[in-house]
Amino acid sequence: MTSAREPNAKRVALVIGSGAVKCAAALGLWKVLIREGIVIDMLVGCSGGSLFATTMALGYDIDDCIEKTRRLWNREITAKRHLPSLLRAILPRLFKFDERFGMLDDGPMLRSLTSAFGEQTFADVRTRLYIVATDFHDGEQVVFSEGRLLDAIRASIAIPYIWPPWQVGDRLLVDGALSSPMPVEVAIKEGADIILAMGLQSPYPRKVKSVSRFAFQVNSIMTNNLFKANYAFHNLAHHAEIIPILPEFEKPISLFDTDQFPYVIAQGERAIEAQMPYLRRLLAAPL
Amino acid sequence: MEITVKQLNQTSVVSMMGSLDALTADEVTRFLSAQIGSGQKQIVADLSQVDFVSSAGLRAILAALKESRQQGGDLRIAAAQPGVEKILKMSGFTSILKDYPTVDEAVTSFGS
Repeated sequence: MTSAREPNAKRVALVIGSGAVKCAAALGLWKVLIREGIVIDMLVGCSGGSLFATTMALGYDIDDCIEKTRRLWNREITAKRHLPSLLRAILPRLFKFDERFGMLDDGPMLRSLTSAFGEQTFADVRTRLYIVATDFHDGEQVVFSEGRLLDAIRASIAIPYIWPPWQVGDRLLVDGALSSPMPVEVAIKEGADIILAMGLQSPYPRKVKSVSRFAFQVNSIMTNNLFKANYAFHNLAHHAEIIPILPEFEKPISLFDTDQFPYVIAQGERAIEAQMPYLRRLLAAPL
Repeated sequence: MEITVKQLNQTSVVSMMGSLDALTADEVTRFLSAQIGSGQKQIVADLSQVDFVSSAGLRAILAALKESRQQGGDLRIAAAQPGVEKILKMSGFTSILKDYPTVDEAVTSFGS
């Protein structure tokens, strides 16, 4: 799905925000766009969305995208606790607590990412790709458009408390959702005229019975409010047309429910089908 | 987009039907601005027949909200469908404007 546009055609961006397995809904959206012959000029991914944005940008077909993300995102990547971090949390002075804290060992995740992307870089993508992370030291958004894909994704999905931050160059990076859970501003800045924005707010745990659930609850509260604040600003600040694509899920989808991919993808298809009449008219209308 | 207006007490109830988006936003903006310009400062936007709002639609609502308030009035939303209500909440609109489940409640609110 390369960007071979006719002159004056509107530039279409797909922004896939955070949402773990639910981000697979973007594949359903993409399936419909391919059917309709609508070219995506750029992909922007954040947190879980970065995985799907990257596989799509590399030009894999839907089935390959599903297979790759299923291998990347599963319970095995959370199987191993990071004992040094846990010791540092309990006895910070003795074990020298530092900013590279994460309750889980990122070894399994790194092996998955290496297996999927190896040394591929942004130069290997067929569709312009931007991946968003957050600088741990100053909170600023960091947008990757060059370098290794593995580094960008590992940084973007560095969920605080869960996985350690990731160093790229001289920056220590964490989850892109901490600066912008649905980074439509990247698409605006890069000149998109129409932005399909798939954003999923963080769920709230049903029961808070552990430190990690407590941390997740607090994280969800803050990122959801940030989501709304950013969305409000970017909708109003610019003339680009932002079309929210909001898949509905009638059943709970947990962080690693990759067996729900078919359902999630179907919901993504439904969500974009509802907007297709408008999208066709919008693409046909003069600039 | 089909837009109709009726007067209830001193309030203009503006009912829109369809999608409030980049292709209809200018028309909505002109209509609401004309209402306000003709002295109708209390506006209820009846969204019961609106099935979608995009960023352009939100900007149209905001423009009318600002204009009505600058004239000493207000624009209030009524009867938004669940999908539209979700977008209004997600975009923070429900924190800056008043939103009612029915047109009657929105109209009554101008009296209180």
